[in-house]
Amino acid sequence: MSFLETLFGKRTRSSDIARDRLLTVLVHDRVKLTPDMLDQLKIELSAVIARYVPAVDAGAIEVTLLRGESSDHLKADIPLRRTPHNL
Amino acid sequence: MSRVITISSGKGGVGKTTSTANLGTALAMQGMKVAVVDADIGLRNLDVVLGLENRIVYDLVDVVEGRCRLRQALIRDKHFPDLCLLPAAQTRDKDAVTSDDMIALTNQLRAEFDYVLIDSPAGIEAGFRNAIAGADEVLIVTTPEVAAVRDADRIIGLVEAFDKGHPRLILNRLKPRMVSRGEMMSIEDVLQILAIELIGVVPDDELIVTSTNRGEVAVLDRGSRAGRAFSDIARRLAGEDVPLTVFDDSPGLMSRIFGAFGFRARGSER
Repeated sequence: MSFLETLFGKRTRSSDIARDRLLTVLVHDRVKLTPDMLDQLKIELSAVIARYVPAVDAGAIEVTLLRGESSDHLKADIPLRRTPHNL
Repeated sequence: MSRVITISSGKGGVGKTTSTANLGTALAMQGMKVAVVDADIGLRNLDVVLGLENRIVYDLVDVVEGRCRLRQALIRDKHFPDLCLLPAAQTRDKDAVTSDDMIALTNQLRAEFDYVLIDSPAGIEAGFRNAIAGADEVLIVTTPEVAAVRDADRIIGLVEAFDKGHPRLILNRLKPRMVSRGEMMSIEDVLQILAIELIGVVPDDELIVTSTNRGEVAVLDRGSRAGRAFSDIARRLAGEDVPLTVFDDSPGLMSRIFGAFGFRARGSER
């Protein structure tokens, strides 16, 4: 890593990587949500949403656990298929 | 009134035994009567760190099972007659002792000593639970690494679940120069993640290796930065208000690292 890169933060410092990885691991440790449970959650979530929004793409749903300042978050990103009708 | 303090960490190899030996010696240097107890049944180490391995006749399990009296198993330190070691058994396992045994044992030790320091085994199983059973307070040792901090977080949760109050943290083997280059997590990073009170920071110090080779402890070596840090922690344990100082070998560095986080610094010393 060159001095300028260090100065302008072009490359992420390994201490920041350690910190972020630790935060992610700790959220999972504390919430105790296994990958299997997370998959099941996605399937059930898409079934519920499909009742209201027909264009939901079950396979593309992303559910992630995030650590916030004062609370942890379960964040779901639910992409909808575009149909010619609603374009 | 005597205090029973367990030193724990979750992860192995982060410095529990070294911390126990140094804090015990530092408290004895303050004139306190101190017992250090090796609760790592089957993997005893505190004896070699203190250089007392040749003097062991009886051990903790012998006391619990009634083969000897407590006083017969206690080994007097080479330097400080008010410092005693109760060694672990080497040929038994952790199931040889119960939590009730440990509570009874610590109560016996309270009658004779101002401080009882218990060196906990790594892990979260019976050995760890026995080690904290008789404790009034717990110190958690961690290093600024992902695996060690993760395990510390788990142990903090368990200590609180066992009603042992809020543990305090010893951040061990910090390398201030790596922190300043962004190559190691800082004191601030670790404290923010674990959200517990800090009792001291021990800088990485090669003298720990050489003193351990000899069976001496670093607090006896006035030139050891880690030894100084352990002496400071012992004073804080006793209730003294000692400013946080991380001794590093490059002058002026310390204030740069710690000044920004509002830690009081005394200036670096060689």
